[in-house]
Amino acid sequence: MIRRFVERGPARAEGPVQPSASFSAGGRHLSILTDTDRGRTILCEAQPEERPWQRAPPGSPLELEHGGQVGGYGTFSFQYGPVAYGVQEAGAFKLATYGERVVKAVPIVNYKKRGIEGRVAGMKPEDALLLLERSAGHFSASYSTCFCTAVEDALGLDVPSRVLWDRAVAVELERIYNHVHVFAREAEAASQNVAASQANALGERVLRLNAKYFGHRYLFGFGGVGTSSADLGTQGRRRELLAGARAVAGEFAGLMDGLLSSRIFLDRLQGTARLSKEDATRLGAVGPAARGSGVEADDRHVYPAEPYHDIFVSLETEREGDSLARLTVRAREVQSSAMVLQELLDRMPPSGGVGSRGDGGEDFAICRTEGPSGDLIMALGLDGQGRLAFLHVRPSSAANWIPFAISLEGSVFTDFQFAYESFGLSFADSDG
Amino acid sequence: MWVLRGLRKGILTTGYPGKGLAPDEVPRSSFPPTPSADADWAKGGGLCPTGAIQGERVDAGRCVYCRRCKDAGFRFEGPAPGPMASERAALARRVLGRSLHVLVLDVGSCNGCNMEVLNLANPYYDFNRLGIFFTNTPKHADVLLAVGALNKAMVETLKRTYESMPEPKFVVAAGACAMSGGVFKDTDGFASPLGDAVPVDVEIPGCPPTPLQLLDGLLLIGGRRRAP
Ligand code: SF4
Ligand code: SF4
Repeated sequence: MIRRFVERGPARAEGPVQPSASFSAGGRHLSILTDTDRGRTILCEAQPEERPWQRAPPGSPLELEHGGQVGGYGTFSFQYGPVAYGVQEAGAFKLATYGERVVKAVPIVNYKKRGIEGRVAGMKPEDALLLLERSAGHFSASYSTCFCTAVEDALGLDVPSRVLWDRAVAVELERIYNHVHVFAREAEAASQNVAASQANALGERVLRLNAKYFGHRYLFGFGGVGTSSADLGTQGRRRELLAGARAVAGEFAGLMDGLLSSRIFLDRLQGTARLSKEDATRLGAVGPAARGSGVEADDRHVYPAEPYHDIFVSLETEREGDSLARLTVRAREVQSSAMVLQELLDRMPPSGGVGSRGDGGEDFAICRTEGPSGDLIMALGLDGQGRLAFLHVRPSSAANWIPFAISLEGSVFTDFQFAYESFGLSFADSDG
Repeated sequence: MWVLRGLRKGILTTGYPGKGLAPDEVPRSSFPPTPSADADWAKGGGLCPTGAIQGERVDAGRCVYCRRCKDAGFRFEGPAPGPMASERAALARRVLGRSLHVLVLDVGSCNGCNMEVLNLANPYYDFNRLGIFFTNTPKHADVLLAVGALNKAMVETLKRTYESMPEPKFVVAAGACAMSGGVFKDTDGFASPLGDAVPVDVEIPGCPPTPLQLLDGLLLIGGRRRAP
């Protein structure tokens, strides 16, 4: 994202503006507010406030975490994880139940809290990048794009258009393999093993494309401040990559037709973990989780920075708000990302040109990037030597934990994994 | 219907470890560097952000495959994981049959290593054909495969999991994070390299190690890795 989408405003929490993140830096307390209608991010000084996703609004699942009791005869709570099937990562849930239905669910994210924000303070941006692109390895391209863009913005650097386009290619490839992966996991959970293994095979093909054109299966290390080492130099290579990605998207569409007409599969998803549009908006859900509930939020639309200012991205939404809606959004986004890739690769600017930037540095910068599971926000400041004075990260998963927990209330336990995967949550992607 | 579709896809599975690799199978995420004849060690050491290049030695367990040392004449073809201490290898050969039950434990990873471990099951690698299976209960596990930078909050879980596995048990540390902490070694959450908490038999370098490297490391247990 670039500066023209950011306003510095007075603190205002009402109206159509939504709090997205708040943090303290250099003795100041800053809030990042979102005005989706106008496509603006509003940055303002605000009272010290806990991060919204760590606050416990009355009646929310987090009450349980803060020692609150869940009332009602026969209700008991227990912890699920950190070594449990269905949650592959180190993370856990505290679940309250009176039998087979979930009354409350609280994610416990501190099993892999590394403290990245604290560690990178004082580091040179290129060294901090190594940690950031490994914050959530499966969202690496989004992290590296978001971070590098923010640093460039803080420095007021001129960045070649080509670098921006390379990054967009990486982010779209990342979206495709993550969405495909979500399907594989859902199919597995529904014991649709042949479909799962075919989806996994498609995912592997994208990883190999990543390796071939970006030097790494998970896109680590291709990006840098002001640079990219993607190997998309010749038109021949770009056509090859496009053909590879389109073949995957095409076969994936076939697989989807099969899966989404399978009653067994649909039964597990339809109506499970429903998130209303109202809750999605109120709780600040992002990504396919928000779009599945009918919220028109996608950073590529709201903040169309180069190259998205010039490329058609179809905004995929559904209204039902259940696991099926979130999956349907993902399925369509595999296709729309393939179309975006076509435009990016067909019209890629030559290397060496200068992009639409360079309006002088400032003490800090914000960037928002639409990753596979939604809006990723970084805010950072540089000191006099060009080192990081502070960095604040609001990962997409951090925004979606509460919407996920709310959507689970009243579900049966067997819905748990279907709901979890459909939100595309990750504990690694919570190290804010 | 699925079965038919499955058949129609034909055979994707790698010939590894019996046959050689197809060119697009050569792993690209994670081979720690090998010095070329004219490698500049001092320059490499200066470029390396993790201290993997020290003096005239590469510590594969610290390498995060950032490729910065390329400019100092290092190439990325990489060593195989291992080796295993010979008495442990002999024990493994004696007690393990043709199958290996693996319990995967994330002790603080970025999810990159988890993804590659999950990929062992995809049709390209199909680890079941080699008699390797995942299990979700420590009681049924021969091998504990740990990924990630051991987080302070996971030390207890790791030790408890290890203790509840039946003897004989083997531990694999996969990825730079498990081996050394990788890029996270100086974060607040990091406890120690895996080997400081539980005895480690096989180490698999990489960030993340690719499925082929993981297979290679797992086959080392029980002496089933064939010459390449
Ligand atoms: S690839 Fe990076 S981490 Fe590995 S040895 Fe080279 S410079 Fe060090
Ligand atoms: S070794 Fe690399 S891929 Fe594996 S968990 Fe660590 S940072 Fe992630």
